[in-house]
Amino acid sequence: MTPTLLNYLIVGSMLFGLGTLGFLTRRNLILMVLSAELMLHGVSLNLVAFSRHYGHYDGQAFTVFVLTVAACEAGISLALILTLYRRHKTLDVHVWHSLGESSPSEDQVHGPRSMEPPAEPEPELPKLVPTGRVPTLDSEERVTHV
Amino acid sequence: MFDWTSLAMWTIPGGPLLAAVLGAALSRSKHREFASWLAVGGIGAALICALGFLWHFSQGGQAVAAGYTWISLGSLQVQVDLHIDSMTAIMLATVTSVSFLIAVYSRGYMHGDPGYARFFAEISLFVFSMCMLVMAGNFLLMFVFWEGVGLCSYLLIGFWYEKPEASAAAKKAFVVNRIGDFGFLIAMFLIWRTFDSLDFRTVFDHELLASVAADQPGTLVAICSLLFLGAMGKSAQFPLHVWLPDAMEGPTPVSALIHAATMVTAGVYLVARCTPIFVLAPEVQLVMAGIGCFTAVLAALIALTQFDLKRVLAYSTVSQLGFMFLALGCAGFSPELASFAVTAAMFHLFTHAFFKALLFLGAGSVMHGMGNVIDMRKFGGLRRVMPVTHWTFLCGAGALAGVPLLAGFWSKDEILAVVAAGFHHKVYSLYAMFLFGVALFTAMLTAFYTFRAYYLTFWGDVRIPPEAGHHAHESPPTMTYPLIVLAVAAVFIGLVAGPTGAFANYLLHTPGLAHGSEHGLNWIVMAASVVVALAGVWIATAMYKRPSGAPQRVARLAGSMADLSANRFYLDELYGLLIVRPLEGLAWLCVWFDRTVIDPVLDIVAAVPSWIGMGLRPMQNGLTTRYVLGMAVGMIVLLWVMLASL
Amino acid sequence: MYYLPIFLGCVAIVVALTATSRTRRVLGAFLGLGALVSAAMIWFSPSTVLVDNVLFLTFAGVAIGASGCMVTSRDPVYAALWFALVTLSVCGLFVIQSAPFLAAATTIVYAGAIIVTFLFVIMLARQAGKADYDRRSNQPLLAGCIAFVLLGAMLVYLDNGHVRLPSDNGTAERMTRLLPIPVGIEANPLSRPAADESFGTMRGLGRSLFGDYLYAVELAGTLLLLAAIAAIAISPKRAGGTI
Repeated sequence: MTPTLLNYLIVGSMLFGLGTLGFLTRRNLILMVLSAELMLHGVSLNLVAFSRHYGHYDGQAFTVFVLTVAACEAGISLALILTLYRRHKTLDVHVWHSLGESSPSEDQVHGPRSMEPPAEPEPELPKLVPTGRVPTLDSEERVTHV
Repeated sequence: MFDWTSLAMWTIPGGPLLAAVLGAALSRSKHREFASWLAVGGIGAALICALGFLWHFSQGGQAVAAGYTWISLGSLQVQVDLHIDSMTAIMLATVTSVSFLIAVYSRGYMHGDPGYARFFAEISLFVFSMCMLVMAGNFLLMFVFWEGVGLCSYLLIGFWYEKPEASAAAKKAFVVNRIGDFGFLIAMFLIWRTFDSLDFRTVFDHELLASVAADQPGTLVAICSLLFLGAMGKSAQFPLHVWLPDAMEGPTPVSALIHAATMVTAGVYLVARCTPIFVLAPEVQLVMAGIGCFTAVLAALIALTQFDLKRVLAYSTVSQLGFMFLALGCAGFSPELASFAVTAAMFHLFTHAFFKALLFLGAGSVMHGMGNVIDMRKFGGLRRVMPVTHWTFLCGAGALAGVPLLAGFWSKDEILAVVAAGFHHKVYSLYAMFLFGVALFTAMLTAFYTFRAYYLTFWGDVRIPPEAGHHAHESPPTMTYPLIVLAVAAVFIGLVAGPTGAFANYLLHTPGLAHGSEHGLNWIVMAASVVVALAGVWIATAMYKRPSGAPQRVARLAGSMADLSANRFYLDELYGLLIVRPLEGLAWLCVWFDRTVIDPVLDIVAAVPSWIGMGLRPMQNGLTTRYVLGMAVGMIVLLWVMLASL
Repeated sequence: MYYLPIFLGCVAIVVALTATSRTRRVLGAFLGLGALVSAAMIWFSPSTVLVDNVLFLTFAGVAIGASGCMVTSRDPVYAALWFALVTLSVCGLFVIQSAPFLAAATTIVYAGAIIVTFLFVIMLARQAGKADYDRRSNQPLLAGCIAFVLLGAMLVYLDNGHVRLPSDNGTAERMTRLLPIPVGIEANPLSRPAADESFGTMRGLGRSLFGDYLYAVELAGTLLLLAAIAAIAISPKRAGGTI
């Protein structure tokens, strides 16, 4: 690893780190996309440096593809950002969090619900003709005997 | 050449089974009325075949219809085959003829019930199970259909399942029967272990039995005791008799068919079928005689004071079953008595099926006319309102009471003769005399309570409960014709089959029953029987024919005895206190343990993932930057790991 | 000592991000400058050609400084312009690394197309005055720490590889294990410069792209087409001259 290569790798990683930082801290959607592009620059620089180092065009070819992807990404992200902007008239990324968990409701916080199962509704029984004497095992027969 | 015998044998259970399946399929269609014709047809086909076999085996012999091998497990081979011999032929004829008449009767009785098709499907299923039970050639198959009839009994007792009493009675019957079934099951295990077979022909082999009796007599005693326990459950013997009176919650034809004529006699049939084993355990037989006798007198005493017509008949059924077991048990006095005892018991079973079915159907006819009121205090003097019912009921009552020349007279007389034959026993002579005395007393009680019910229902002033409305008239022909046929049977069948020796000769062709010494008519016993029967009838006539204060005076005189009888000796309450309450306490304890120990533990276990989730929930807040932060941290960790591995 | 530039840079960025007054912004700028200088002093390994060193330091310094400004800028328009400067500086580095075509392409695509579009969108979506979401950044301390820890980890990684590689066979083996290079396979022969040719010509890159990477190039073209269609499909229908 020649010293020259190392210099470029260090610069590339610095660009990448600053891009990460921008992506993390900025709330403007457009600036977040720009930070991502900054990270791509860091990567491109790496590829070009290695390409030079090994005397091989692979790295430069890859950079061409990175460029392509960056162009696609920029086009689509701008279209998306415009759509989002029309919804809420803002570019703040914090507005868009509908994929998040809703805050826990009361019963979830306070653990299990009551142990009793919910009462079932009374089933509706068919009405049949009454049969026989309804036996009262206790009262009627015990009292009277002839 | 086509095997017509096999076809006819398979028709006997097959017809009712087909009727049951088709009837069940019809139960929700608009043609549900047709289910009754299916049942009548299926049982009728079985009846024709059964009568054919009854005639076919008049000179003895047996037939087997091969089915298939159900279980083949080492030495355990269980065949689903149908066996018919003389005893089976008699049982089949009894079962199918009574159930045919009852099916015809039910067409009128159940008319208009929403569960019409279900009723007939279940009745057919019962007949199928009962036929299979008596035609089974091994213990396991018998047990399966033993359970099958129990299930049908459960279904039919709880036929009006929305009535709390009916479903409670059904559960009670099922649970009490389970105790007996437990005995049967253990006995079956023991038999398999001892004889290495469950087949009747193998187990009842004389040489095998003799060798087992010589080697392990204790095992035989255990097997017999457990088999008898099974029979006690099914045939409602003390102390497992409590379910039968409650079973009257079912429709009356069910009471007549299952809980009087057929299913409850399955226990008697089991013991009769297993006579070759029981002969080798005379101790068990003597105990059986004692229990039968005790059950007979206990049930008769309870029946004295009941006002529910069906319950009177139910207790009389218990009492008559006690008589049958008394007869079977008396074989213990001497091995030569075995054939005689079995003949007497089976003969009583045979006649009892007819006259008890008749009595129940008569009671059903009364219920039908009285708007489903069955309390004898609420109606009376019905002999002019329902003449056919009155006359047929009188025939049945006479037969049950043992009025001379009617069916019950001959069979009960034979049982008494069997008991009397035990007088000659060297050791237990006194025991036999005691049993004889009690049996005679019970016979008198039987005559008394039967005619008490008869007079209370059909004599005195005409009283009709308001529930009857304009229905208070004779039942339709579809109900009265079966009554008339059964009445004719109740009057003449004893005379035809009993004193002529036809029944005994027929039954003794059964393999496994030795031809014992011929017993002629015992004139002394017969005279005693006539005297007590007529005495019972006379007392009942004196007390109940016209309204008088006599019953109340007797009750005051008897004091606490009458009280005990009216309350069924508090047996239900006793069981409730001794068995149900402790079990309920145990159940309560289990519930308490479940609620206070297991549930909280489970709740905690279930809450742990919830808590973990609550801890993790903030991470998933939907903010893109937070996710990127996570990715960055992940990348740091990855780099750190790579550095560490350098 | 070794981590001084990282620490200084972190402090500089955080101060600039959280600054409420011009003074603190200036303080942040100075700190950043200090970080750059110290980084150059500590990590820069000069080559023998002076011009190379000067050019590299200039372009690298401008690129990093401009990206720092871009990240901390409160006005999105300025941020976009800072980003253009970063792009231009990176293109300068590309040129030093014998990639003139890429330098040109990047300049055209980024500065000419992407940034103009971005600026256009920023202008369209602009609200009266500076928006709150531009003025207040998101968790600057935490994000700054994490980003710089990440940067430090990468630098340490590079440094370890650099220090240990030259003669230490065991370490070389471990590096190979980490980043395995296929042995005995002559990968992409068309991507090598021809024998009579110096590295970095357009001809060589073209041969590589349309030789070894022909399918990939075609795919990339298709991807661009699809992205264009998708952007048209996604973008909202305009009504009456609004965006």
